[in-house]
Amino acid sequence: MSVIVLLIIAGGLVAAGFLAAFAWAVGSGQYDDMASPPLRMLFDDAPADSAHSDSQGASHDIRR
Amino acid sequence: MMDAALSLASTAVTVCRHCGDPCTDRPVRRGDDTFCCRGCASVYLLLHNAGLAAFYDCEAPPGVSQRRARRRSAQYAVLDDPAVATRLVAFDAGEQAMATFDVPDLHCASCLWLIERLWRLDSGIIRADADLTRRVVRVWFRPSSISLRGVAERLSAAGYPPVVPVEGSAGAVPAARRGLYLRLAVAGFAFGNIMLFSIPRYVNGAPLEDGFQRLFDILNVTFALPVLLYSASGFFTSAWQSVRLRKVTLDVPIAIGLVVMFARSIADIVTGYGEGYLDSFTGLVFFLLIGRLLQQKAFDRIAFDRSFRSFMPLSVLVRGADGLRPTPIERLTEGDTIVVRPYEVVPADAELIDANGAVDYAFVTGESRPVALTRGDAVRAGGRVVGRSLTLTVVRPVSHSRLAALWNNPAFARPKRRWLTDVTERFGAFFTTFALLLATAGAIAWWPDARMSASVATAVLIIACPCAITLAAPITLGTAMELFGRVGLYLKHGAVALDLARTSTIVFDKTGTLTTATDGLRAESVGLSDDEWRLARRLAAESVHPISRAMAAGDSAHGVVTECAEHPGGGVAGSVDGRRVVVGSPSFIQQQCGVTPLRPAALGPSAGIAIDGTFRGWARLIAPPRDGIEQAVARLGTSYDVWLLSGDRDEEAVRWRRVFSGRAAFSQAPDDKLVAVAAHESTGSRVLMVGDGLNDAGALAAANVGMAVSDDTACMVPACDAVIQGRRLPDLPVLLRFARRARQVVIACFAVSILYNVVGLSLALAGRLTPLATAILMPISSLTILAMGAGGMRWFGRALPREAAR
Repeated sequence: MSVIVLLIIAGGLVAAGFLAAFAWAVGSGQYDDMASPPLRMLFDDAPADSAHSDSQGASHDIRR
Repeated sequence: MMDAALSLASTAVTVCRHCGDPCTDRPVRRGDDTFCCRGCASVYLLLHNAGLAAFYDCEAPPGVSQRRARRRSAQYAVLDDPAVATRLVAFDAGEQAMATFDVPDLHCASCLWLIERLWRLDSGIIRADADLTRRVVRVWFRPSSISLRGVAERLSAAGYPPVVPVEGSAGAVPAARRGLYLRLAVAGFAFGNIMLFSIPRYVNGAPLEDGFQRLFDILNVTFALPVLLYSASGFFTSAWQSVRLRKVTLDVPIAIGLVVMFARSIADIVTGYGEGYLDSFTGLVFFLLIGRLLQQKAFDRIAFDRSFRSFMPLSVLVRGADGLRPTPIERLTEGDTIVVRPYEVVPADAELIDANGAVDYAFVTGESRPVALTRGDAVRAGGRVVGRSLTLTVVRPVSHSRLAALWNNPAFARPKRRWLTDVTERFGAFFTTFALLLATAGAIAWWPDARMSASVATAVLIIACPCAITLAAPITLGTAMELFGRVGLYLKHGAVALDLARTSTIVFDKTGTLTTATDGLRAESVGLSDDEWRLARRLAAESVHPISRAMAAGDSAHGVVTECAEHPGGGVAGSVDGRRVVVGSPSFIQQQCGVTPLRPAALGPSAGIAIDGTFRGWARLIAPPRDGIEQAVARLGTSYDVWLLSGDRDEEAVRWRRVFSGRAAFSQAPDDKLVAVAAHESTGSRVLMVGDGLNDAGALAAANVGMAVSDDTACMVPACDAVIQGRRLPDLPVLLRFARRARQVVIACFAVSILYNVVGLSLALAGRLTPLATAILMPISSLTILAMGAGGMRWFGRALPREAAR
């Protein structure tokens, strides 16, 4: 039965790991703005592209 | 906006390609495209030339109207000052710097798309990043090729003028928010795990084999400790604060409940009496924090504080040896000569140098009647210049904090009695005494059995925790606030919704409230014959002044203009059909014709008209009523006491009197309005005052709810409790009904949570409040309240106007 004790401790550690990961995500500002990122991913071209490769029609489809 | 566009389509009026507003007067044409103003056209051209025309590839034109944008070249000059610049620049590594700007006009996906392509407009900009939640733009740029001021001007040119913060830094991340997420995560983590360790015991019906029960107990206490010390700490501090202020808010019984729950659990576990209530304890904290988070989210959408601060002057023009120079107001010293332009605020106590001028103290005293000044008169800081620019000598420089204090004038900041605070305060005291009395009674009833006595008393305190009640108001009102915000009614606080619901009297201001403030202005003749009016209108068509444009609006006047000269700041003079016509200010007419007309005080904004050298009459601005406003007033009149208080001595008084069934008063000075509103309040009716906040700030502050009408969301009024977009005003009956629904939902939630408490308390008094019963009762009551509050408001929210406003 002592294997259950081991499992419980392992389970607690995994959960604590996720809690720590969440704490890091909040601390690094990932939860500061929840409105813009879901929109940003819909634009086709990244702002880092050069002006030439970015054709004008490339980015209009999503926002219609 | 959509209906306006449709109704205008029949009269062949197009909408602006940039902002989608109807192009009413003097549209600007560029090729096939039409714009409402030159500002919009120049933004469009700029974007088009930079290959960013895809900005316009969505359903409705996404731009922000530039018609009211005040593009002053010196506006951002203050950013050249290092002291101001450090407020915005987060880091400056020489080659690269990053600055944060508040941009209130950000509103949609297209804005985001455009801002993040800002680097196309200037090679010095490396990258820009928009944050729609806080309406903040971060810009990375090369200081060697573009200055901070240049970046701000680029943003402004693209149609998104940044607001320079008066103090503090732009877009500071609210630290409390991040903390709330962490508190919630810790509580949720503990809640889940403790539940996991508690269920075996509930299923077993008896303590588990010795080793396991010991392990689970230790784990439970380990997980519950951070919840008590970290997650729940906010409830303890606010309860302590309210006790120190000798007020018993609902946080007090919550704190008592939480402490008793934890202590009883530890005692039970240590004595081996039972497994304790730690699962319910962590669950309770978790649900309470969810309520707080929802409330915070609703607040986020409304940047009230920031918006009214943008009225404050940052810099002022100081006359030096090298002409006028913008100077941060902290640098003002005694004896400086400053120039303050119309609508700007005088930043220091000063003395007038000009021969005469006028200021109003609407922001300081709520009195917006301009005060006439002559040379040598003292002007107090906080006054707003009216009419024309003033040259002043600084007598006493004023700090920003004192200016901010002027804004937070007691007349405006006077806390209003909110129904919700009243109720929760009274209820808090009642609840705490009731729970304590009941716990004592329970203990006495079981007395000979000391163990049962203690057990019942603590059980009563645990279950009497008013968690469902404290959840009900923030969740319901937070949802209501968010839904109101979507249709263009912004509440300063959720509790305002409940006060709106209790309104019995509605008082309207006229100009700018029932009538439109900016669009569709017209002018009418005062004292001219039809033919003279035709001549004046024909000449006015040649001028760009707002009054001239209002005169020329509508069907065009015929006539042949042979000669025309416009004198900016004065008027326009010319020959129409061979007759000499002069339209302009009294002094302009004096200068042109040698006669000085005397303008009647009640005339309002107007221009004098002289024909063939003699003064003939006036052209007076009139504003048409908003579409649908008369029907709205009529509908409101069936269930409310509706009044009109107008500052004008109105030509249309008869008509408005009919709309308001005679309950209308005209020629009301701001003070009269305040007195009238206060009189209604003192007779016990609860007044909703609707005004534009310019000449009725005092009345807005005096009313139970002051609602400011704004055609421009960036412009807010310190005295009000709510801001409504002008085009939403005809929907007021629907909005008020929604507010009443919010109140009904809150009351229903209160009733349900009291029901749960009755069930729980009878269990507790009977000595049968087992940890299992608490573990079931507690989450169910919280979840019911969550569902009723948020779900109920969304259900009723379907009745709100569809189209989202911005």
